[in-house]
Amino acid sequence: MFSNMIIGRYMPGNSWIHRLDARTKLVLSIAFIFVIFFANNVIGYVIATLFTLFAIMLTGLGVGVFIRGVRPLILLMLITTLLQLFFVQTGDVLVHWWFIKITTDGVINSIVVFVRFMLIIMFSTILTLTTQPLAVADGMESLLKPFKKLGLPVSELALMLSIALRFVPTLMDEAQSIMNAQRARGVRFNEGGLMTRIKSFVPLLIPLFVNAIKRAIELGDAMEARGYRGGDQRTKYRVLTWHMQDTIAVIGFIIFTVVLIATRWMM
Amino acid sequence: MVMAINFNQVGFTYQPNTPFATPGLHDVSFNIPEGQFTAVIGHTGSGKSTMVQNLDGLVLPTTGTVTIGKQVVTAETKLKELNEVRSHIGLVFQFPEAQLFEQTVLKDVMFGPKNFGASEEVAKASAEVALEKVGIAHELYERSPFELSGGQMRRVAIAGVIAMAPDLLILDEPTAGLDPKGQQELMQLFTDLQKEKQLTVVLITHQMEYVAQYADHVVVFEHGTVVKEGSPADIFADEAWLREKQLDVPAAKQFADALAQKGVQLHDVLDIDQLADQLAAQLKGEVNHV
Repeated sequence: MFSNMIIGRYMPGNSWIHRLDARTKLVLSIAFIFVIFFANNVIGYVIATLFTLFAIMLTGLGVGVFIRGVRPLILLMLITTLLQLFFVQTGDVLVHWWFIKITTDGVINSIVVFVRFMLIIMFSTILTLTTQPLAVADGMESLLKPFKKLGLPVSELALMLSIALRFVPTLMDEAQSIMNAQRARGVRFNEGGLMTRIKSFVPLLIPLFVNAIKRAIELGDAMEARGYRGGDQRTKYRVLTWHMQDTIAVIGFIIFTVVLIATRWMM
Repeated sequence: MVMAINFNQVGFTYQPNTPFATPGLHDVSFNIPEGQFTAVIGHTGSGKSTMVQNLDGLVLPTTGTVTIGKQVVTAETKLKELNEVRSHIGLVFQFPEAQLFEQTVLKDVMFGPKNFGASEEVAKASAEVALEKVGIAHELYERSPFELSGGQMRRVAIAGVIAMAPDLLILDEPTAGLDPKGQQELMQLFTDLQKEKQLTVVLITHQMEYVAQYADHVVVFEHGTVVKEGSPADIFADEAWLREKQLDVPAAKQFADALAQKGVQLHDVLDIDQLADQLAAQLKGEVNHV
């Protein structure tokens, strides 16, 4: 059902990027989303694209994997691009036919939106493809630590996050097997009109929820039986360590940011 | 309806054409004779459950052809074409209690027949017959399936499959996790059904006792393909070969073999009845000599 989705999946490997600390990758991925908005001309976007391609090369996974990963989102990207094209009405008019008016600003805006979209998705995919979900959860916990003083239950949030991540594949498998069982009983998923389709998911959703609740009760019991009593006093088995290459990655990213900002005054 | 099944050079890959592609089956060829009890064995991860999905037309083979009765399924077949053939197949998945969802037990059992076009009355009648067969008491018909015990839930789920009156019944480890009495009762139910309606039954199991006791035909899976096919006597003849495949012979045969080593000659012992018969015959013989 979700067989072609690459976003959010981990692909094992041992590249330079794979070995980076999860915190580095998390922070840089988020920073990239903000930094990309500094680009406001062709040179800026070329630099950002080259930087992204360089990072993708460092993952050792091949550009093809990333392009396939973007494919499910292409429709969303096209819709936003077309909205920009048709609704931006400033600048010189290029085409004026009936009620459709395409202007130079519209064309530029739609290209900009498309490129930004593409780069942001590609760059965030690097994080998920090269970092194990549990490492992401550990990284989040470590980054959120300062907010503990403000009363944020950081260890509880991290626990929920890592349990949620751990159970994503399990629940997907279960959804698939319930779906198969209901199809064997004559349910036709993805057939008929909207209402029929929505109704056909009831025999999937109810068992899925019921089983998730059962699983939660069992997991809670098993955790208590093993001595879990809340998050604060725990020690950690997986310890995140900061290496030289993390420093290099951060410095590289800062240089990229500075260059990108500099391009704003070049034209 | 004719329900013989033939797999011809079937291959199946999960998520083909993605970086996550994993082979499920390759070069699978075997027959399931009509109206007989076929057992499918093989160690965990050998491809048995993947084969089941191909068998019910839930997925299409990547290569080769599956013939289910008159329906020929290949990689090009439209999934929609298979709805008809699926209405003749009852499929009991592992832990089928996970598929219950209706407000009442009766409604859940009626769900299958209704999906395949039965009217409310017909569905209700066949649901009641099926619930009777699996031994669910009348008082429970209007209860929520989630109030029942695990064993009862399993029975209700199986009733939901039986109520569809299938010509082919596929059972994927139906007795896993039940107590010995529950296991015995269910196996009895399946054999009775098979005899009564001349059903074609396919049982996937790890319990060699069931294979010896009930099966007419055995298919052995290993590493995503079929490595042997034949009668239980054929399959259990080569003990060393089975051990190598991480399988075993039934306890009765093990016991008979141990006796044979001490000089007691027995022939073709597969289940406990045969063992008892032959031992009794020999003991009586000796008594007579004395």
